[in-house]
Amino acid sequence: MRPGAPNIKRQLVPCLLLLPAVTVTVLFLVLPLFYLVMMSFTEGSSFFFEQRFTLENYRELFSRYQMVLRTTVFLAFASALVDLLLGYPFAYFLQTRFPYKDLARALMVFPLFGGLYLAFGLYYLFLPKGVLSPVLEKLGIPVLALLYSKTSVVLGMAILTFPFMVANIMTALQNIDPILKEAALCLGASRFRIFFRVTLPLTRSGMVAGFLMCFGWNLGAYEIPLFLGSQAEQQVVSIKMYQQALVMSNYGLSAALGMMIMVLSFSVTYLSLRFSKGALA
Amino acid sequence: MKFLEVRPQAVDRGQVSRKQKIGRLRPSALFPWILDGLAYLYILAGLLVFIMPFGVTLWYSLLTRGKSPKLTLANYRYVFGSFVDSLLLSSKVSAVTVLLNLLIVIPAAYALVCYEFKGKKFILTLLNVPLYSPAIILGIGLILIYHFTYGLYNSFLGLCFGMIVGTFPLMLLPVMVALKDLDTVYEEAALCLGAGPLYTFFKVTLPLMGPGISAGIILNFVIVWNEFLVTLFIAGPDYITAPLKVYNQILWFGYQNTTAALAATLQIISFLALILYFKLFGSRFLKGRFF
Repeated sequence: MRPGAPNIKRQLVPCLLLLPAVTVTVLFLVLPLFYLVMMSFTEGSSFFFEQRFTLENYRELFSRYQMVLRTTVFLAFASALVDLLLGYPFAYFLQTRFPYKDLARALMVFPLFGGLYLAFGLYYLFLPKGVLSPVLEKLGIPVLALLYSKTSVVLGMAILTFPFMVANIMTALQNIDPILKEAALCLGASRFRIFFRVTLPLTRSGMVAGFLMCFGWNLGAYEIPLFLGSQAEQQVVSIKMYQQALVMSNYGLSAALGMMIMVLSFSVTYLSLRFSKGALA
Repeated sequence: MKFLEVRPQAVDRGQVSRKQKIGRLRPSALFPWILDGLAYLYILAGLLVFIMPFGVTLWYSLLTRGKSPKLTLANYRYVFGSFVDSLLLSSKVSAVTVLLNLLIVIPAAYALVCYEFKGKKFILTLLNVPLYSPAIILGIGLILIYHFTYGLYNSFLGLCFGMIVGTFPLMLLPVMVALKDLDTVYEEAALCLGAGPLYTFFKVTLPLMGPGISAGIILNFVIVWNEFLVTLFIAGPDYITAPLKVYNQILWFGYQNTTAALAATLQIISFLALILYFKLFGSRFLKGRFF
């Protein structure tokens, strides 16, 4: 072989090894997503027969389905906010004061098994004559209005994504150099001052990353609004997508709805990866 | 001012009274204790919220129907009676998916860790895209392409591939971590002693990657076992996996105690798998990833 000629064999081996993984990704992810994009620009279900390209789906999306988009974003935003407000103290106490971290981590996997079981369990909890109702009544929470309401949906979504928020914030807390806190202490700052002037600003990136992650995750929520929400909360993108595609066979509109979720959630994921700085690989 | 100093030796010998040592008891000294107590309560309340949905499912699954419920195990007879087909299908799908994932992931991880080539970063990003695409997008894209191009709708293979594309990045990560942590001296020794590259891989590298691979298997199993949204789209009427069965039962018959039993069984199996994972590997192969 001539010196300097490209070593075909050296390049060939990794290519062959990567072939199955790349093939599966292209066939079952890249192509479907490409179809989805194309389909959102075709009328009804004409994509596979005689393609009639149109922007009608997007016009409908921003007129008739504007409310659906708004509800989806609102629910995701509200649940992410609840996560942030309740999750920060949780992560902080867990990191600094709670000795049984393994126990906490073991119990926190339950929401991660999926929204289906969570919605199922929460239905029993929120039931007007359920297990929890005597406790809730004592606390002054209107039990009758709890199930099938905005509150139950937001709470369900918040519980579902709570572990992501806690993981992000705990990683950020772990990454703080303890020297900074010691310096503040030596200079005579009180505990509150240290928390608000040192700890909180240094975990800002973790908070943003966690917030975005919870928000992006809940954009595609399906089971929780379906099982815990009333008619108003069931007007979310994923449920509408399912109905349009599998019940009405209106693939164009369904694909356009999917595009909205995709664009939103990919940009949110990109931002959260930028902010988390490798906290979540 | 020297006489004001309290020397430690003096305290030990009891020459200085205890009161002098501590000084006045400030009210703020109690404060950390109160704060600690509140923090404990807050965390315990949070953990209670996490397990309560499961706990109440379990509780209802142990009750009989009717006005005055009694404790019973009869609901679980349904789980292993009329629901057993779904459970078996779920196990089959999980097993096939995990197996195919292994065949896909091990070569890919080996190539990504051990070779240098152009476009490596791009490939790594491409392989991680499924992790970040919402399940609903995956589901709708897959059903369209299954219906009209591949003809895989309502088939076992289609179901498995839908699971594979969503879960193999989760397997890739622990296997790559295991391979990166592996010292190259063992492979070098084997090669020096005259073993061929294939023999070296199967006899040395693969066994040493064992923990990473089994970590990947457990994680993958839990995800596939509980996968619901993608399944809802791509599984036809003939392939009802266990989570889908829970969903269908709720939609058709409402909230039944027998369905609660199925949901509780599924969660218990997932939980045991994850406990096994943490016992065996801790969070070594997660690299900051939760779960």
